Amino acid sequence: MGRTADTRGNRDGLVAGGFMLPLVLTILAFVVLPVLGTLWTSFFRDVTYLPRKLMWFSNYGRLLGDAAFWQSARFTALFVAVSVPLELVLGTTFALILNERLRYRNALRAMVLIPWAVPTIVAARTWELIYNYSYGLANYLGGLTHVTPGPVNWLGSPASAFGALVVADAWKTTPFVAIILLAGLQTIPETIYEQARVDGTRFDQRFFKITLPILKPVLVVALVFRSIDAVRILDLIYVLTDGGPGGSTTSLSLYGYRFFNEGDFGYGSAVAVVVFILAFVLSIVYLRAGGFTRASR
Amino acid sequence: MTGIWKSVWIMVAAAALTAACSERTSQITLMIGGAPAELDYWESTIREFSQASGIDVNLMRQPTDTDQRRQSLIIPLKAGQKDPDVFLMDIIWIGQFAASRWLEPLDGYVDRDHFDLTSFFPGMVDFADKYEGQTVALPVYVDAGLIYYRTDLLREYGFAGPPETWSELVDMAARVQAGERRANPGFWGFVWQGAQYEGLICDFLEFALSNGGALVDHAGNPTFDRPENTRALQFMIDLIATYKISPPNTYTEMKEEEVRTAFEAGNALFERNWPYAWGLHQGASSPVRDKVGISLIPRGEGGGHVAALGGWHIAVSSSSDDKRSSWELVKFIVSPEVQLGFALNLGWNPARQDIYDSPELVKMAPHLVTLKQVFMTASARPNVPYYSMLSRVLQAQVNAALSGITPPGAALTRAQSEAVKVVETYRQ
Repeated sequence: MGRTADTRGNRDGLVAGGFMLPLVLTILAFVVLPVLGTLWTSFFRDVTYLPRKLMWFSNYGRLLGDAAFWQSARFTALFVAVSVPLELVLGTTFALILNERLRYRNALRAMVLIPWAVPTIVAARTWELIYNYSYGLANYLGGLTHVTPGPVNWLGSPASAFGALVVADAWKTTPFVAIILLAGLQTIPETIYEQARVDGTRFDQRFFKITLPILKPVLVVALVFRSIDAVRILDLIYVLTDGGPGGSTTSLSLYGYRFFNEGDFGYGSAVAVVVFILAFVLSIVYLRAGGFTRASR
Repeated sequence: MTGIWKSVWIMVAAAALTAACSERTSQITLMIGGAPAELDYWESTIREFSQASGIDVNLMRQPTDTDQRRQSLIIPLKAGQKDPDVFLMDIIWIGQFAASRWLEPLDGYVDRDHFDLTSFFPGMVDFADKYEGQTVALPVYVDAGLIYYRTDLLREYGFAGPPETWSELVDMAARVQAGERRANPGFWGFVWQGAQYEGLICDFLEFALSNGGALVDHAGNPTFDRPENTRALQFMIDLIATYKISPPNTYTEMKEEEVRTAFEAGNALFERNWPYAWGLHQGASSPVRDKVGISLIPRGEGGGHVAALGGWHIAVSSSSDDKRSSWELVKFIVSPEVQLGFALNLGWNPARQDIYDSPELVKMAPHLVTLKQVFMTASARPNVPYYSMLSRVLQAQVNAALSGITPPGAALTRAQSEAVKVVETYRQ
């Protein structure tokens, strides 16, 4: 009884804080600490058989002069630049189609999700069988239809291996984009379109003037998730090319992973920190561009 | 309230009790990876050991993949954990593991038990298992590269025996391939490991050494860009691109198992592989059963017969909390009886010379006796703690040359300059 509104507010704040504490602790323990730990390790010469020594930025200096690091950075940048836009365009297309009143729409929606539901390692093994030179499905179909002059070594040149990886990645992750955008599409009231149709607009006008602007926040979310995943891609490449041919498809994550496996934890951590910073900066740029900082009313 | 405290106390007490229990019983942990059949055999071997010695052994299973096996060892060893007490290492890890002080020196135990190290292949313990003069591991089985060939096809096309030199191999492969292609368009003259992975280094080592090249000099420094190595690499490219007797997917897909299955399906005349393939080629359901011969890696210009040395070695962790029992287990695993069992049941080639004369082995696996000669002359990869870093650099460049991205000379020059950087960075 008799408490002032002010102390009640403080109490509410404490209760709210109490509820949030487990979440904050979890994030601290499983996100912040490992990231800081990796950053700290990257300042050391931390090779299993050499005395551990604080070297500050020497690992980062070594990165600058490391041709293989730059090759993997170029590959990763190109992979993000090609695969993410492709997945967004395909995902938007699928979302628009699935948003129409089609027969078997629910079955179609469920089917589109299947590639996303398959674990990446399993999907990658499947694509490995498709691209296989001697008994792969791609060369089998190519032989049947005479589209290709003979068996093609799909993973055999840097360019075709890159293309093969992008195709496999797009197959796997387009459903994710499609589902997120579909959710966004369903929030747009049908009446807006009816109004626009009455005004005599064309399809492309409705898409660019109504759908796209309303979808923008959802699109940015999809873009952020896809870009982060593409920047740190590992599993698909690990299975399909393992960085080959000649190291041309080594992603930054795969490059860093190699050092962990070889026992150079300091240098591997430095590569991991670079990947983290890239993903972080990219997310912030997108969120700013998407107007999220202003929208947090 | 009291309920919560009660349950907390029970949990604490239970944890303390479990800790106390695990403290009391003497149990050592053996970390082993491999195919399911191999792990099953290990289980039964371990059971025998426990029954005879009264030492309880916990078998910790690892993946089959070699790289993943290494990773799952590095983490507990670096953290100084008590488990695993005993584990197996690929021969190329020993340098790094020993330099990291993860391996318990065994000389004290060897002397105490008058354990005879001379029964292993000469030089093998000295070369692979010694670090700073101390014995830190013992060989469990040996591997060496060799050539499998189709005895029926060589006879059919009028060849008296397997090729002695690389140019003979090219001639035979081209002739047989041309003939066999009429019925089987997927037939290849010669299959070998060319994908970007450790196996490529073994093959490259054999091509290079048999052509008079070398990967390191006498001081152990890398000499990747020797002209003989470049010639050998050009020959590897020619096998695919000029003679067209090796498939284009050699440098993308061909690892041990891909090569083995191609040969076993009857799609190749020659195969470079390890001894494990013999048992599978001669298996009951193998299409090439009783049509397979084994031969040495051919000679090139200025070189002799060579073979890359592989194999797995056993060691005791320096963080083990029961080194005495661990040594008993090691001694058991490398004993003639267990080694013979591995040879007969898993087709593993014993690291002990004395077993090759055993009448049982001569009867059951006569090919192993022929292989003894190969093991005696096998060439090891550089034994330095930073071997895996050197190998990665070389893998990428050799594979780049095979896939036509970089000319062989430029690729090896680049590999050499990167290798020099690796040595500068990782030298002790």
